[in-house]
Amino acid sequence: MVSVINTVDTSHEDMIHDAQMDYYGTRLATCSSDRSVKIFDVRNGGQILIADLRGHEGPVWQVAWAHPMYGNILASCSYDRKVIIWKEENGTWEKTHEHTGHDSSVNSVCWAPHDYGLILACGSSDGAISLLTYTGEGQWEVKKINNAHTIGCNAVSWAPAVVPGSLIDQPSGQKPNYIKKFASGGCDNLIKLWKEEEDGQWKEEQKLEAHSDWVRDVAWAPSIGLPTSTIASCSQDGRVFIWTCDDTSGNTWSPKLLHKFNDVVWHVSWSITANILAVSGGDNKVTLWKESVDGQWVCISDVNKGQGSVSASITEGQQNEQ
Amino acid sequence: MKLKEIDRTAMQAWSPAQNHPIYLATGTSAQQLDATFSTSASLEIFELDLSDPSLDMKSCATFSSSHRYHKLIWGPHKMDSKGNVSGVLIAGGENGNIILYDPSKIIAGDKEVVIAQNDKHTGPVRALDVNIFQTNLVASGANESEIYIWDLNNFATPMTPGAKTQPPEDISCIAWNRQVQHILASASPSGRATVWDLRKNEPIIKVSDHSNRMHCSGLAWHPDVATQMVLASEDDRLPVIQMWDLRFASSPLRVLENHARGILAIAWSMADPELLLSCGKDAKILCSNPNTGEVLYELPTNTQWCFDIQWCPRNPAVLSAASFDGRISVYSIMGGSADGLRQKQVDKLSSSFGNLDPFGTGQPLPPLQIPQQTAQHNIVLPLKKPPKWIRRPVGASFSFGGKLVTFENVRVQAQQGAEQQQQQHHVFISQVVTEKEFLSRSDQLQQVVQSQGFVSYCQKKIDASQTEFEKNVWSFLKVNFEDDSRGKYLELLGYRKEDLGKKIALALNKVDGPDVCIKEGKQESEFLPSAGGTFNISISGDIDGLITQALLTGNFESAVDLCLHDNRMADAIILAIAGGQELLAQTQKKYFAKSQSKITRLITAVVMKNWKEIVESCDLKNWREALAAVLTYAKPDEFSALCDLLGTRLESEGDSLLQTQACLCYICAGNVEKLVACWTKAQDGSSPLSLQDLIEKVVILRKAVQLTQAMDTNTVGVLLAEKMSQYANLLAAQGSIAAALAFLPENTNQPNIVQLRDRLCRAQGQPVPGQESPKIPYERQQLPKGRPGPMAGHSQMPRVPAQQYYPHGENPPPPGFIMHGNVNPNAATAQLPTSPGHMHTQVPPYPQPQRSQNGWNDPPALNRVPKKKKMPENFMPPVPITSPIMNPLGDPQSQMLPQQPSAPVPLSSQASFPQPHLAGGQTFHGIQQPLGQPGMPPSFSKPNIEGAPGAPIGNTIQHVQSLPTEKITKKPIPDEHLILKTTFEDLIQRCLSSATDPQTKRKLDDASKRLEFLYDKLREQTLSPTIISGLHNIARSIESRNYSEGLTIHTHIVSTSNFSETSAFMPVLKVVLTQANKLGV
Repeated sequence: MVSVINTVDTSHEDMIHDAQMDYYGTRLATCSSDRSVKIFDVRNGGQILIADLRGHEGPVWQVAWAHPMYGNILASCSYDRKVIIWKEENGTWEKTHEHTGHDSSVNSVCWAPHDYGLILACGSSDGAISLLTYTGEGQWEVKKINNAHTIGCNAVSWAPAVVPGSLIDQPSGQKPNYIKKFASGGCDNLIKLWKEEEDGQWKEEQKLEAHSDWVRDVAWAPSIGLPTSTIASCSQDGRVFIWTCDDTSGNTWSPKLLHKFNDVVWHVSWSITANILAVSGGDNKVTLWKESVDGQWVCISDVNKGQGSVSASITEGQQNEQ
Repeated sequence: MKLKEIDRTAMQAWSPAQNHPIYLATGTSAQQLDATFSTSASLEIFELDLSDPSLDMKSCATFSSSHRYHKLIWGPHKMDSKGNVSGVLIAGGENGNIILYDPSKIIAGDKEVVIAQNDKHTGPVRALDVNIFQTNLVASGANESEIYIWDLNNFATPMTPGAKTQPPEDISCIAWNRQVQHILASASPSGRATVWDLRKNEPIIKVSDHSNRMHCSGLAWHPDVATQMVLASEDDRLPVIQMWDLRFASSPLRVLENHARGILAIAWSMADPELLLSCGKDAKILCSNPNTGEVLYELPTNTQWCFDIQWCPRNPAVLSAASFDGRISVYSIMGGSADGLRQKQVDKLSSSFGNLDPFGTGQPLPPLQIPQQTAQHNIVLPLKKPPKWIRRPVGASFSFGGKLVTFENVRVQAQQGAEQQQQQHHVFISQVVTEKEFLSRSDQLQQVVQSQGFVSYCQKKIDASQTEFEKNVWSFLKVNFEDDSRGKYLELLGYRKEDLGKKIALALNKVDGPDVCIKEGKQESEFLPSAGGTFNISISGDIDGLITQALLTGNFESAVDLCLHDNRMADAIILAIAGGQELLAQTQKKYFAKSQSKITRLITAVVMKNWKEIVESCDLKNWREALAAVLTYAKPDEFSALCDLLGTRLESEGDSLLQTQACLCYICAGNVEKLVACWTKAQDGSSPLSLQDLIEKVVILRKAVQLTQAMDTNTVGVLLAEKMSQYANLLAAQGSIAAALAFLPENTNQPNIVQLRDRLCRAQGQPVPGQESPKIPYERQQLPKGRPGPMAGHSQMPRVPAQQYYPHGENPPPPGFIMHGNVNPNAATAQLPTSPGHMHTQVPPYPQPQRSQNGWNDPPALNRVPKKKKMPENFMPPVPITSPIMNPLGDPQSQMLPQQPSAPVPLSSQASFPQPHLAGGQTFHGIQQPLGQPGMPPSFSKPNIEGAPGAPIGNTIQHVQSLPTEKITKKPIPDEHLILKTTFEDLIQRCLSSATDPQTKRKLDDASKRLEFLYDKLREQTLSPTIISGLHNIARSIESRNYSEGLTIHTHIVSTSNFSETSAFMPVLKVVLTQANKLGV
C-alpha cells in the first residue's frame, strides 16, 4: 500500500526538480527551477517552512543531505554551474561553501558514506566530476575527474561503505580499509565506476555499457550485508537496468533489464532496505519494483500523486519481457 | 564546446533519432571547392563516439559518388525499432536528380548502394524534407517553383502539392509541418513562403512581409505549435529571422535581429522548442529562443561562415555545422572545458599547411580562414537557459521509515507563448507498506512478548508448522517455558521416562523376572547356612589364596589386581571401594580398559562424568542420544557448554540435515548467538518472512533464557545484533518505527544498533527542544586534516551535543551514551571545548536516562536474577552409578559442595535408586529416571534449571525436603468434577490405543500430562464457573462422541475466558479433541 501521509505545498514558483528527506525522515528539502531551495519540517504530518535558500542563479537540480554526524548540512547543485553547501547555524540556514569549479550545469550531487568523512561528488554537463572533501577550518579540497563523460555527467551515486563480503570477517576494533567507489552516468550512454587509488587519485575502474541513450540516473543500492553489489540505472532510452556484481574483485557486472518504458526514465531510488526500487518516468509515472523469488523484477505498484496499491501477488506479470 | 571535427566541405545529415549509434553522413557539397579544386565527390558516414575524447570522428564508410550534393537528409523510412542501421539517405543533386542511398549498404562496403534515383526536377535540388508522420513521404524543391512529393514506396511517380506558384522561382527551403501531417511549407529566395494543404492539393496561405528584402535561406516549423514557423533571411540588409503565426499572417509575430549579416541556415530543436540555431555571414552561430527573441548561446567558433547547421536528432545537446573553410564541426551546447581538445586542433592546423600547395608553386596558399584568435577563453559557457531535456519533471525517492517522496510536474504546453501556469507545486510524502504478513506476524510476536503467553504461542507455532524440523524447533522452544524442561527435552528426543520404565519392567518380567525370583530363592537357601556358619579362609597358592593373603595384609591394590587379572570384576570393584577412592578410580579405569562392550563408553562417561567425551566423540548419527545423555546428567554449569559443543560438532562435521539439527542443541543450550548463526547458515535468503521466522525463535529463546538462566542475557552478540538491526530496519522500512524500536536490543553499544536507535527515535518525530539553546559552532568542530570525523553538533538537539557516531575502529562509547532528551542541560557546556577529531570520546558522565518501558528487551526485573544465581549452590551434580554401592568419588567439584560428604559414607537415599538397566545390544538406550518427575507439582519445579533429571542425588536434597509435604497438600479433585478427569483420561487412553504413529502418541502422552494443570486447578477450585460448566459441556460431548461439538465449545471457552486462566490446559484439550475426532474413537 502506498498512501499519502503528508502533502507538502512547496509554493515553488516553477518546476520542482528534486525532493529529499533528511537522514531521519523529518525534514524535507526541495529545489526548483525558481532557483530556490526550501527546507520543511514535516514531522507528524506538518509542514513548517524552515528555510528558503536563495543563492543559485539558475534552476536547482538536486539537493543532498549530509549525514547528521556532521551537523545539518545540505548540498545543492544548479544549472548556474555552482554547487552550494548550506549549513544550519544557530537555527538559521546559511551558505557555508560555494564550489564554482564546473564549466557547465552541475546535474547531480551525492554525499559519500559518512564513514569516509565529509565528501561530496558532483557531476556536471561539462563532462567532469568533482570531489569536494572537507579538510577542516572551512576548507574544502577539490579533486576533479575531467572528461568523465563526454558532453555531460548526469548522475553520481556512492557505493555503500561496506566492502562486499566483509561483513562477517571484518576484524572488530580495526579500522576497516574502505575502498571508496562511486558510479556515474552520462550523456555518452555509459555508466562508469570510479575507485580511489592508494595515492588518492580517482581512476576509472569499469565501464558499464547497455544503454543506447543518455544515462539519466544511477543508484548504487544500500548494502544489506549480502556479498552482492547492485546498481540501478535508467536512461533516456526508456530502459532501466539492474547491474549486479558477485565477485569480490568487483569487476564482473552483469545487467538485467528491469523494464523498457515508453518514455525517458529520469530517476531511480532504492528503498533503505534495498529491496524496492522506485522508478520515475518522463510520463510523470512513478512505479515501484521488486525482485521476485525467481530473480525477475516485477512492478508491484503504480504511484499516482503519492497514492497506489501494492499488488499482493509478486508473480503477477506486469513485466514486459524485452 | 567543440566535440569533433571532420575536414570536409560537405552537406551533412545525422542519422535518425531511432538509430544507435549515432552517425553523421556527409556528401560533398555542390557549391564549394576545396583547396585542391578536386571535383571528385564522395558520400561518407562517420560515427559519433563520445567516449573517445579526441576530435577525430571515426569514419565508417566512404562511397565515391559521381554527384555533388545540394542537400542531404537521412530519413527513418523502413527502420526497425531496434535501431539497426537502416533508413534512407536522400540526396539532392546538381542536375535535378534525387538519389536514394541505403546507408547500411554504404557502411557494409557494398558497391550497389543506390536504392533509386530520379531526375525529374529541373535544376539543382536544394530543398528536401521527410514527413515525420509518414516517413515514406519526402518533399523536394528545385528551380522553377518545382515541388514534388515522393513516396519512397513508389519512387517513380512524384505528386505535386498543387499548381506551381507564379512567377516561377527557386525553391530554397521546404518543410513538413510538425503537428499536422498534410501541411507543407516552401520558401524561396524571393522572400515568399507558401503553405500547402495536401488534402486540398493547393496553397492555403502565402506569407510575405512585402519588404521584398527577405531572401529566404531557412524555413522551419515550430516543433509544438502547428501554426507557427520561422523564416530566415540571407540578405545582409535584412539579416533577420521572422517568426510567423499563420493565424495572424499579415505580419511576423516576432523578428529576431541577432545577426549582423545574412543568415545562411537555421535549425529548430525538436527536443526543446525554445532553441533555434542560426548561422550567418557574420560567422556567428547563435542559439536563440524564437519565442522571446533572446539569444541564449553563441557558439565559440573561430571558423568561417557556416552554410549548413543541424541538430543531432538523438543527442539533443549536439549539433553540427558545416563551414566554408572545409570543415564540419560537432559541438555541444552544454558548454564545458575544451582543454583536452585544443592541443589537437593546433596540431592539425599546422600539419594542414603542408598540403596547401596544390599547384606546386612552392608558395603555399595563405590560410583561408581568419587568423586564429589566440587568447580565447578555454571555458565555454552553456546556454543561458537550461534546455528542456535536462529539467527533471518527476522524481520519487525513498527515505527512512519506508517513506516515499514524490513530485510530479504536469506538462504544460507552451501554447501561445507564456501561458498561465496554474500548477501546484506539491510534494507528496507517502508510506509504502509491502510486507503485510511480515508486519502482522511481527505484531503478534510483540503481543506475545507483552502478554507473556509464550507457551500458547509456541503451541500455535507447533500446530502451524509445515515441516518436522520447524515443529521440533518450536517444541524445543516451548519446553523452555514448561516445568521439567530437561525431562521434556528428553521426551522430545524420544526418551520418555515412563515409557522406558515400562519397557524395563516388561523386559525384566518377561525374560529375567521369573528366573531371578527363582534364583534368588535358591541363592538364599544356599547362602543361609554359610552365612550362619563359619567360612574357610583359604590361603592356598591359587588366585583365591593369593587374594586372601593380599587382603589379610591390607594390600588392596594387589588384591584388586589379582581379581582383575582373574576377570573377577565384581570382586575387584568391591575391593577397590574398600581400598579408597584412588584405588576405585584406578580400578574403574582398568575395568573400562578391559571391557569391550558397545555401551562401555557410555558407562564410562556416566561413571567418569566425562560428558565431553561423549559429546566430542560420539557418532553424529547418535546426536540425539548424546544430547539425551547431556540432558540427563550434565550439571547446569556445563550443560550449556556441552549442548553448544554438540551443536558445534553437528554444524561443522555433519551433513546438511544434521547441521540444521544443531539448532536444537543451541536451543537447549540457550545460546542465542549460535542459534542465529546456525539458522542463518541453514536458511538462506534475507526475505522479511524468513527473517521473521528467525526472529520469532530468537525472541522466544531469549525470553526463555532470561526466565530460566542466570547468565547475562543482555549481551547481544555481533551476529544477533546484526540480525536484530536488520529486523528493525525491515520494520522501519515498512513504517513501523515504534515496533522497530521495541525490537532493538537494549543493552548494547554496537555501533549499528546505537545508530539505528538514534535514527528511529528521531524519526518518530520527537519534539525538538528550543533552537536557542547553546550549541557548538561549526568552525570549532574542526576536522583534522585528511581524517574523517565528526564536524558539528546537531542544532536540533542542542542539549545533547554529543554525537552517537564515531568512526569505525574507535572505541565505542559506553551504552549510556545515547541521550534521550531529559539529560542535564549543563552537560552541554562541558561538551564545548572539544579537541578536533576526538569529540566522540567526550562523553558527558550523566547516567542513561530511564527510557519508556516499551522495550521488551529490557533486562528482567533485578530481583529475579539473584534468585536464579543461587541455584547452582543448591544443585547437586548427578551421581555416578557407583552410587548404589558407594559414595561417588573423584569429583572434586561435587566434594566442594557443602552438602556432599567427602567421606565414603553411604547415603540413605541411594538405596532407592535402581541400577539403570542398560539393555545390552541397544546403544544409549536411555537412563532410568528414578524419582518420578511427573508427580512433581509445578510450583516446585518452577526454575527450569532444576537438577538434571537423571541426577538422583542432585535432586534428592530438594526432593527429600519438599516432596512429602507436597504430597500431603495435594487436595482431591471435588467429586462433582471428577467426571472431567475420568472422561478426559479415558478419551486419551482410547486415542492412544488407536493411534498408530509415534508422533501422535507423543502428543497424547504430553497432553495427558499437561492436563494435570487442569486437575490441579480443579483441586484448588480456582476456575471460574463459566469455564467449569464449559468443561462439563465438553465432557458431555465427549461422552456422546460428538467431538466437533466439543471443539466448538472449546473455542467458545477460549474466546470468552481469561487467557491466562486457561492457557495451561485449553490448547492441550483442543489437541486431544482434534485427535479424537481424527481417530474416530
